[in-house]
This record gives sequence, C-alpha cells and structure tokens, in this order.
Amino acid sequence: MNKTEAIRAILEVSTDEPTVFTTGYASRIGCGLADRPNHFYMIGSMGLASSIGIGIAQQTGRPTIVVDGDGSLLMNPVALVAAGELDSLPLVHLVLDDGLYASTGGQVVPSRQADIAALARACGYQRVHEVDNVEAIRALLTEELVSCPSPVFVRCLLYGPDEPIPGRVEFDLDAHAVRFGESIRERTSSAS
Amino acid sequence: MSTTADTPRTATAADAADRLADEFVSQGFGPFYSTPCGILSRLLNALESGPGLLTVPREDNAVGMAAGAVLAGRNPVVLMQNSGLGQSINAIASLVTPYRLAMLFVISLRGVHPDPTQENQLMGRLTGPMLDGLEVATATLDSSGDLGAQVSWAASVVRQRRRPAALLIPPDAFGWRP
Repeated sequence: MNKTEAIRAILEVSTDEPTVFTTGYASRIGCGLADRPNHFYMIGSMGLASSIGIGIAQQTGRPTIVVDGDGSLLMNPVALVAAGELDSLPLVHLVLDDGLYASTGGQVVPSRQADIAALARACGYQRVHEVDNVEAIRALLTEELVSCPSPVFVRCLLYGPDEPIPGRVEFDLDAHAVRFGESIRERTSSAS
Repeated sequence: MSTTADTPRTATAADAADRLADEFVSQGFGPFYSTPCGILSRLLNALESGPGLLTVPREDNAVGMAAGAVLAGRNPVVLMQNSGLGQSINAIASLVTPYRLAMLFVISLRGVHPDPTQENQLMGRLTGPMLDGLEVATATLDSSGDLGAQVSWAASVVRQRRRPAALLIPPDAFGWRP
C-alpha cells in the first residue's frame, strides 16, 4: 500500500465528512483523486493538520478525518496531547507513515526508535490501530464514521513506490476556506 | 477573582477582567483557547468560570484549533503571552492570514513597562512590529476605559472585515505585578 492507494481507500469510504489533508503530497493526492468541497488542503503550517481537525470536530460534533503524515505529526506532536485530553472528540486521525519527508526530496524521518502508535495511546487516544493494507483502512473507517465516540488513531504503514504525484494545490486559499466552511456548516446544520 | 484581602486597585482590576470576559461573550466571541499567563490569569479565571476555556499546551496548536473553529462558523479567541506569539508566527503567516481565517488574539505584553524581566524585553519590543508584519490589526487594552467599545473594535475587524485582530494587554491591566 503506497500513499496514493491509502488515500484512495479513505476517499472510497468517506463521503461528506470534514476532511483535513496535511501539507505536501497528502494534499496533492487528495485533491488529485477527488476534489470535494468537504476537503481542506492545509498547504502550509506543517504540523497543524490535527489541531485544525480538533477544532472542527469539537465545534461541529461530526466525525472529522485528518489525513496526516509521520513527518508532519512529529513536527508538532503536542496536538496528540490536546486530542487525547478531549475524550468525547469525534476525531479520526490517520497517519500515513512512509518514514520519509516525501515532498521535500525523500529525507528519512528520524523516528526509527519512536513508536507513534504507542505515543498516541499514551496521550489518551482510546482506540489505536496499525494497518498495512487498504482493506483494513476501509473496514476501520467505515466503522468509525458511523459513530466515533472518542479520538481514534490509525497508523497506516506504507511501502512500495508511489504513482505519479499530482501537481501543487493552486486554489485561491481564501476561496478554498470559504468553500470548505460552507460545506461543513451546511451539513452540520441539516444534520442537527 | 477579588478577595477581601485585595486592595481597591486590584479589586477594580479583577472587575475589569470580569467585564472584559462578559463583553467577549455578549459580542459573540467564542470558543476560547489559551495558554497560561500570569498577566492574563484574572481574565482566564473569568472565562473559565463563565463561557469555558480550553487550555492548550502550546500556542500554535491553539491557533490551529481556532482555525478549525473559524471554519465551523465560530468566532474564536486565542489568549497567549507574547512569548507564545513567537511559537505562532508560522501558524499565522501560513494558515490564518492566507486562508483568511479571521480570529481574535488576546496577547499579554511581557517585557513592557512595568515588567522589568530581562528575558522578556526583546519580545516586548518585537510584539507590535511582528503583528504589523503579519497583517494583524492591533489595539492596546485600556482596562479603565470603555471595554465594550474596545471589544466592538475587535468584532468589527474580525467579523466585518474578516481580518485577524490582536488586543494587547499591558502587564498591569488586571493588577499583575512583577
């Protein structure tokens, strides 16, 4: 399972849930595979995808998907502590772990001794999974999107070469935020 | 919170913190995210016992969470010490400003008179210029002035103009002493 296959699996199971993609290839792949109004492409502020997801999940009460990376998670692991503290937060935190800073030239993430799944558990995530295939992603996400009563962490182990990566996300960022906000607010109010 | 041991000056200061918290709520601000600060402690107490306050371990995470709240249609406030503004520079420069996620910052001014602490002097001098460079509108709180009008200014910047604003809090605004 490479990064594109993992994101394709996430998009096959998710529909209109607020979904935050971290910077780099995750945003580019997510946008390239299916650009939906409920997608937020965080193309700067590396490390803050899950913090944004926490804010959305807490204020909408809806299961919120964060498509994070191992490098971006480690840029700011404080968010794990913040999410773990909120025990009824409907946050579905997927970390695509390829061990590389892929979009900056493939430098190795210095985490060979670090166990990020154990870190998430220690920070208070009540369900922590490690998966290495698309079927497992689909099954877990299907279940969590029905009812996500507390933060869940899914470490997705990636391997193998990726497909060609789509170009940069080039939307006007103000308009992009407006589109995303309208999308999630419309569905939040119709659901409540 | 004021106690019977407070001097009249600090009782007034605590009252200002309570009234400022009330103005934030009545003018539609919330949720409130903060990192700890002695200068802000009376205001943080007032928010905690009023609308609620979420303490976040690091300032840029608070800015990220507030960005999510803006996207969800809320008017969040992020309260921090100016030392934490240093942690938040990239979150403001690459998230808040380019995506135009307008929010209110309440930033205490360590290193500004009457705070003589050496380690805070440089950030004290940098706070205003950094916010100007980040295109964040600023005003310095006058805690003995019209608090409603000062919060109205913030509301007009954030909600009507959709720009980030910062209300700067002098060290003695709520009775803090070095």
